[in-house]
Amino acid sequence: MSDNVETELLLEISDLKTHFRTPRGTVRAVDGVSLSLERGKALGIVGESGSGKTILSRSIMGLLPRSGVIREGSVKFRGQEILGKSTKEMQSVWGREMAMIFQDPMTSLNPVMKVGRQIAEPLMLHLGMNKVEARQTAEKLLRDVRIPEATRRLDQYPHELSGGMRQRVMIAIALACGPTLLFADEPTTALDVTVQAQILELINEQRRDRNMSLILVTHDLGVVAGFTDEIAVMYGGKLVEKAPTKVLFERMKMPYTEALLESIPRLDQPSHSRLAVIPGRPPDLVNPPRGCRFAPRCAYVRDRCLTEEPQLTVAESPDHVYACHYPVGSPEYHERRVELSKASTAVGGSN
Amino acid sequence: MRFWLQRVAMAVLLLLSVSALTFGAMNILGDPLFNILGPVAGDVNNPDSVKLIEKAKSEFDLDEPLVVRYGLWLSDFVRGDMGVQFSSDGQPPVSDLIKERLPRTATLVLLAQLMAIAIAIPWALATASRAGRLSDRISTMNTFFLVAMPNFALAIILKFVLSIKLGWMPLTYVANDPLSSRLWQMVLPALTIALPVAAVFQRLLRTDLITTLQQDFILMARAKGLSRRRVLFRHALRPSLFSFITVVGLNTGALIGGSIVVETIFRIPGIGSSLVESVLREDFPVVLAIVMIVAVAFVLINLLVDILYSIIDPRVRR
Repeated sequence: MSDNVETELLLEISDLKTHFRTPRGTVRAVDGVSLSLERGKALGIVGESGSGKTILSRSIMGLLPRSGVIREGSVKFRGQEILGKSTKEMQSVWGREMAMIFQDPMTSLNPVMKVGRQIAEPLMLHLGMNKVEARQTAEKLLRDVRIPEATRRLDQYPHELSGGMRQRVMIAIALACGPTLLFADEPTTALDVTVQAQILELINEQRRDRNMSLILVTHDLGVVAGFTDEIAVMYGGKLVEKAPTKVLFERMKMPYTEALLESIPRLDQPSHSRLAVIPGRPPDLVNPPRGCRFAPRCAYVRDRCLTEEPQLTVAESPDHVYACHYPVGSPEYHERRVELSKASTAVGGSN
Repeated sequence: MRFWLQRVAMAVLLLLSVSALTFGAMNILGDPLFNILGPVAGDVNNPDSVKLIEKAKSEFDLDEPLVVRYGLWLSDFVRGDMGVQFSSDGQPPVSDLIKERLPRTATLVLLAQLMAIAIAIPWALATASRAGRLSDRISTMNTFFLVAMPNFALAIILKFVLSIKLGWMPLTYVANDPLSSRLWQMVLPALTIALPVAAVFQRLLRTDLITTLQQDFILMARAKGLSRRRVLFRHALRPSLFSFITVVGLNTGALIGGSIVVETIFRIPGIGSSLVESVLREDFPVVLAIVMIVAVAFVLINLLVDILYSIIDPRVRR
C-alpha cells in the first residue's frame, strides 16, 4: 500500500447490470453497480450467497455463459471499455491481465492433468514460452506460493495434493502471467480454518510484491477486514454500502452491514451463546421487492422502506456511500434499537 | 498387479463357462449323430447304415460321456484344433475355415469401430459445445434417424448411392483381389456398420461432455484465456471418455454378431455368414468355434478397456 507510485485508475465500472434469462423470468443478478479500483489496491466485495457478488466479479471479467445473459453498463479496464468485447478478444486478457482464484480447489483443477502442465499452460499461451522455460517458471511459481518439493509436485496430479496445497497451485496459476487484476472468489471457504489465514496472507503478500489490484469476494466481513483497502457490500444484486475498510468498521451505515458483522462468531462471547443470524432469505431477483431490497428482513424497517427505494448517499466522509433511509445512528434507528433490546430481554427472561 | 491377476483369472473362468454352456447345450438339446449323418442316423436296421453310425461314433467320440467329450474338445481347442465340420464332408477343418474367414470379419469390425470413433468424437465435441442450439437439435434428429434405420436398409441406400449411382465405391468384396483393393472394398460395409454405432457413441459422449463442461475446472481453464477449442480438447474430452470407452468395448462383441447382415449384402465371406450357415445346419463345431472367438475377443477388448481407464484417469491407477 505504498503511495510512491502515482495512483492509476485500473478499473472503472459504472451502472453494470447482469441479467439472466431463465424460464421463470429475468434474474437481475447484478442490477446497476458502480465501482472503481486503483492499481495496487484491494477491494472486498461482501454479501450473503445470492447477493450477486460472484456474478459481479465474473461479469467484470466477462466470464459468463455464452447465451441467455444480458450485460449492460460500462466496464473500463486500464481506460479501455471491455464490456462489449467478444470472447475471442477477452481471451488475451484472461489469464494475462486478469486472473481468478476460484472457491473450491477440489474441483477447480483438472483432475487428469499434471499440476505442472496446468501452470505451464497460460505461460506458453500468453508469454510464448517453450516447454522447458514454462516448466522452470512453473517450478519457480510453486516456490513462490511456498509449496515444498516444488520439482516433484510438477509431475503430480491434483488428487495427490491436500486442499490447501491445491489452493496454492490455483494461486500459482492465477499469478503465472503477472496479472494486474486478481479476483479471488471465496478463496478460503473450502479450506480448513488453520489454512485459511495462510492462504489469505499469501494472496495479500503476492499482491503487494507484484503491485496487483485485488478483488476479494467473500461472505465473511472478518476475512476482508485485514486484507482490503475498501469494502463494497452487496445485497440483492445492488451495492448497498461502500467505504474504506477502516471507515466502514468504525461507522457502518447499513443495518445489513451491521447484521453481517454481528453474524460472525466472536471469541469474546460466552461459549454456546446463540449465533446471531439474519432472518429470512435473500430476495427473489426475478421480482425484487419494490422499495429497499433488504426491507423485508430488516429489523429497522419502516413504511417508507417498503415503497421507496433508497439511493446511494454520501456519508460524512466522501468516499463512504450507503443506500438506506434510516441508517445506523439515525434517530429512527436508535428508537427501534431501544424497543428491540427491551423485547429481547423480555424473551430472554421467560427462557 | 494383484488386480490384473484377478482380472485374468476372471477372464479364463468366463471363457470356460461360455464354452461349457455352449458345448452342453448343443449336445443335449441337439443330436450330434443326426447332424453328422442326417436321416441315416435313425436307420438302425440297415447294416450299411449301422456301419456308418459306428464309424461316426468312433470318429467323433460320441460314445464317451459328455464331460469327457468336453475335455477332449477343450484340449484340442487350446492347441488350435477346432475339430471337424459336420457338414461339407468335414472339409476344410474348422480351424482352417476360421483362419480363412476371421481376418475378413476382424478387419471389417475393426475398421467399422475406428470409423465410428473417428466420427463420434468430433461430432460429440461439436454438439456438446453448442448444446441446445439449432445445430445441436438438427444433429439430434440425425442421430435418431441413423439409430432407427435398420442396418440392411442403410446398407442398401449407401450401396445404391455411393456404388451404383455415383460409382465412387466398389460394389462387392472379391476375396482374390490384392490386399489394398480388398481394404478399399471394406470401406463401404464398414461405414454401414459405423454410422448407427457412431450415432450412439456420439449421444453418449455428448451427454458426458455437457456434464464435464459445467465443472469448475472448465471455467478455470476458460479463465486462463485458453481458446474454446483448446478447452474442449485439452480439458473436457479426456475426463468425459469413461462411459464412452466402456461402451466401445462392450459394443465390439455385438458388432461381430451385427456384421452378419452387412457381410451378406456386400458378399464378404466372413465368420458372420459362417455363423448363420452353421447354426442353420446345426454344424456344432463351427458354431462353437465362432462363439469362442467372439467370447475371447470380447474378453480381450474389455481387458484393454480396463487398461485404458487407468491411462485416462490417474485417480484409478493401482
